[in-house]
Amino acid sequence: MVDMKKFKQNAPAIPILVWFGILVGIPLIFVVILSFLSRDELGNIVVRFTLDNYKRIFDPIYIKVFINSLFLATLTSFITMIIGYPVAYFTANLEKKKKALAILLIMLPFWISSLLRTYGWIILLGNTGLVNNLLIGFNIIDKPLSMMYKFSTILTGTAYMLIPFMIIAIYNSVDKLDRSLLEASYDLGAGKWKTFFKITLPLTIPGIAGGFTLVFIPSLGLFFISDLLGGGKNIFLGNLINSLITKGRNKPLAAAFSVGMIIMVLIVLFIYSRLVKRNTGGADENSII
Amino acid sequence: MNMISKKIKVVLGLALMMVLVFALVGCGKNEGSKEINLMSWGGDFIPREVIDQFTEETGIKVNYKEVTSNEDTQSLLEANPDQYDLAVVTDYMVEILRLNGMLEVLDKDKLSNFSNINPVYQGNYYDANNEYAMPYAVSTAFLLVNPEGVEALGANPITSYADLWQEELKDNIVVIDWSVEIMGLVLKSLGYNYNETDPVKVAEAKEKLFQLSDNIMRFETNTPEDSLVNGEAVVGFMYSNQAVNGNAQDDKLVPVFPTEGMPIYIDAFVMSKDAPNKDNAYKFLNFLLQPEIAAQIADITDFITPNKAAEEYLTEDFKNNPMLNVSDDVMANTSFYIDVAAVLEEYEHIYSEFKMQ
Repeated sequence: MVDMKKFKQNAPAIPILVWFGILVGIPLIFVVILSFLSRDELGNIVVRFTLDNYKRIFDPIYIKVFINSLFLATLTSFITMIIGYPVAYFTANLEKKKKALAILLIMLPFWISSLLRTYGWIILLGNTGLVNNLLIGFNIIDKPLSMMYKFSTILTGTAYMLIPFMIIAIYNSVDKLDRSLLEASYDLGAGKWKTFFKITLPLTIPGIAGGFTLVFIPSLGLFFISDLLGGGKNIFLGNLINSLITKGRNKPLAAAFSVGMIIMVLIVLFIYSRLVKRNTGGADENSII
Repeated sequence: MNMISKKIKVVLGLALMMVLVFALVGCGKNEGSKEINLMSWGGDFIPREVIDQFTEETGIKVNYKEVTSNEDTQSLLEANPDQYDLAVVTDYMVEILRLNGMLEVLDKDKLSNFSNINPVYQGNYYDANNEYAMPYAVSTAFLLVNPEGVEALGANPITSYADLWQEELKDNIVVIDWSVEIMGLVLKSLGYNYNETDPVKVAEAKEKLFQLSDNIMRFETNTPEDSLVNGEAVVGFMYSNQAVNGNAQDDKLVPVFPTEGMPIYIDAFVMSKDAPNKDNAYKFLNFLLQPEIAAQIADITDFITPNKAAEEYLTEDFKNNPMLNVSDDVMANTSFYIDVAAVLEEYEHIYSEFKMQ
């Protein structure tokens, strides 16, 4: 009887689970199967089992691509965390009306296509862009600064694109913080900084962890940012998979890279959740795993 | 709880609607209809006004799907061959689709205007017997150069690919972002042919390619001309329509046809083997083959027209543009990228190594 009741309670979730199963589960199984298949010279998939695709992933050049992507994703996560934390912290401490406005402003960029916003950076940073024109106009420099097509440009673009996720995740945990704990800390003679590092920061680690996962994973796949802002000079996993599917005519290898990327993400998230658990005694409710 | 179940109802409702939409899309097949389904590059590759004129004359509606690559066209066509009538693809993709058995042999009896097409552009490698493809647009790739910029850097004037290796050009070259094109450029600079397979020559090209690394400031396939217009680069290796666009924005930018030769591409119409509206599709192709229409298309799209009869209808601007009205000796020095399949894997690997060095 109890089970029946539980089933009834959860029943409305079943269509959604089925929906997800169809749209996420089945394609994922296809990708895994594809990664073990071969292809002919024209790029047609041939149903012949092979481990070659996985062997090729370990080519030194492709290992470099993995490291490059991991580096970008980690750096993006840290930068968004460092910038996003204070923003989230002050937003959470605003009065109610201003808070709502601040959240709205943080979410506002999502109303515009991310591709357009990336082009916006080109308009800002290009040789004849807004920044250079202003600097030249005010006689601060006489030759345009070259700010495009560098690793730092890609990093800026990726961090910009993903920072709202970090802010919102941290905001949620700062907002939920029990203020009486802070008051207790002050009463016991701790200063502002000490209170922050001893009370606020440890209690908001789940939020940071949530933000970290929300930023880390998509930053591996935003290939159009590195193409547009990086001038195609750096190869990341997203770009590699994209070019293998199209110009490279090698879908099975692209599938193997996708599986490799998923495994890499799972490993990173696993290590990360372990670290968070150790720091918070298992209270990482925001973390994905 | 009530709120939640309401939300679930909304989600379910939306899901149902989507299923219905998919189901409806699935049964868009109707015999004897007054329409054709066409797939091609976006960005006005088949000008709207031309399509509108066709619809006005014949009453046949053209459903125009815009795609971003030949490979997208291939995926869509192979997944649903009975939903598309016509597609425009580049030469190498004609060959792939033909070998995969996706294409209909064009019935020349229904294309009375086919003879307007210049014989030079007929029966090329991808369709040697001239059966499956109707050439639509011809393009090349060459260098667009800012001579003042080159001089300001202290480099020698650029006349060939070999000139791109000058140290003075550091961080000043923009190139098309594809392994086969870039390896092709390097092979040509060494005096070899495109898609070379000889390991010794390929190794030599690889070494030379790596030396070019410092000079390339950007790899860009879609809008490389922008980098020359805004002064980021002084030389660009790009497609002819992009060079025409760059030159139109700034006439200081001039085309240089490299002495070593250059690639040529033919974009052609092909018909799906299972095309649902074949008769209408033939009408559309025959319409496009009319000299006046072909000239109008060339003028709008900045592509060379393969339509010989259209030449007298071209505008003076078009005829006087050396990038569009290519001289015979420049044309004689062009070649296709033939048999990409034989080199693709190795070139892609070299290219990745080159970018990651």
